[in-house]
Amino acid sequence: MRLRIIVASISLALISVLCVAGDSPRSNSATTPVVQNSAQADAMRLEGEKRFHANCGRCHAAPQKFPPRMMATIVRHMRVRATITDEDMRLVLYYLTQ
Amino acid sequence: MKLSVTKLARQWSRISASLRAAHVLLVFCLLPAFLVAQTSSSDSPIPVLSGSAGYFNFVTAGQNQLNAQINPVLLLPLGDRWLVESRAEFQGVFQRPPDGGPYGGPVSKNLDYAQVDYIANPYLTVTVGRFLTPFGIFNERLYPIWIRSLQQDPLILPLSAESSDGAMLRGGFPVNAKANLTYAVYVSAISTVHNNLQSERNVGGRLGVYLPGSRLEVGVSWQKLLQDGRTNAFGFYSAWQPQRLPLNMHSEYARSNQGSGYWVDGAYRLSQFRQKAVRRIEFAGRAEQFFSGQIGSDEAEALGLPGANTREGEFGLNYYLHDGLKAVSSYGRQFSSNGNFNLWTFGIAYRFMVPLGRAEQ
Repeated sequence: MRLRIIVASISLALISVLCVAGDSPRSNSATTPVVQNSAQADAMRLEGEKRFHANCGRCHAAPQKFPPRMMATIVRHMRVRATITDEDMRLVLYYLTQ
Repeated sequence: MKLSVTKLARQWSRISASLRAAHVLLVFCLLPAFLVAQTSSSDSPIPVLSGSAGYFNFVTAGQNQLNAQINPVLLLPLGDRWLVESRAEFQGVFQRPPDGGPYGGPVSKNLDYAQVDYIANPYLTVTVGRFLTPFGIFNERLYPIWIRSLQQDPLILPLSAESSDGAMLRGGFPVNAKANLTYAVYVSAISTVHNNLQSERNVGGRLGVYLPGSRLEVGVSWQKLLQDGRTNAFGFYSAWQPQRLPLNMHSEYARSNQGSGYWVDGAYRLSQFRQKAVRRIEFAGRAEQFFSGQIGSDEAEALGLPGANTREGEFGLNYYLHDGLKAVSSYGRQFSSNGNFNLWTFGIAYRFMVPLGRAEQ
């Protein structure tokens, strides 16, 4: 019985933490970088492609285009799986979605 | 006195039942709110069902084995920093009995990982739950059938635990403009509660250096078993993609009391050719060797390792029919004191990806 109460408490605590995390700033998430002009956008796409081939291409080929919201999930998954750096992840996401 | 104790027990039972019901209700009420919160922004991630499915014919020493499998991967992002992810494996292995008759065999199911990831900062991700053991690179990165260029597992794969139940810290960061460092450290608890959730009590880690300029990654892995013989296992790995060639090279070395060995494989995609049909062709090859350790051949075979010193060479031809869909074939030969034999593989592997929410705004 005690165990169940503990589990329930932990679950509630976890939910609370999730709420707090949901409101936290997006500094650590895979948000698309802000681009000022088309030249910068092209440069970022090229750099993103380069980072894709360097990081993701070590294991698999480039996938077909998926909607940005799916790509955001997949890139977050791959950040954990392939220990991609934060900067690489942002550029790869930009390349795959823009 | 007895009566009051009984009364108290009943009241407590009612209260705890109410608490349980409230807990379940709260979880079910709040979960959709989190999912809706995910879909409110135009670029926020949505839950995704991904994975792979495949059908293969493995002909080993003349014995045909039919292998059908599906490996769904569920990705559930929560907020900006959380990800719940899991992969299951459902596999049917069918072959004829030695004395003839229809094909038959077991259908197995396994939970490869079910983990919660928290991206604490750009350099650290905290993972708890059941996760793929970060030992070498094959288990974590190259295992899915749509990724691997040869469908046979490397001989040394069982030398480390494939999944662990516990906690892990991992991440990657640039050391300077020419090198990135990646790391993973973990602790795992023993679990014998269910066949699909088994794990060993161990600690370990992996450290890798990636040089983007030369597209070379090298790393070292270590694992210490904290039960039974408290043995150590260690290994090295490398991954290399030359800048000018569509070549993908991987290698691993591992050593433990159960044995040691290495594998080197390469895949060459004919992507520089003009003809579309030719560009879809990939050649693959692998050389590997296993050296028996301090355990008996019966125990080794129970772990999935060869029962004797073994060498193996394998050559493959893959054809990418579509994004995520490829036909695979390979021929290999294994040499050991237990006998030499051929290994043939024919099959098809498919990767799927389905949004579990509104993908388009």
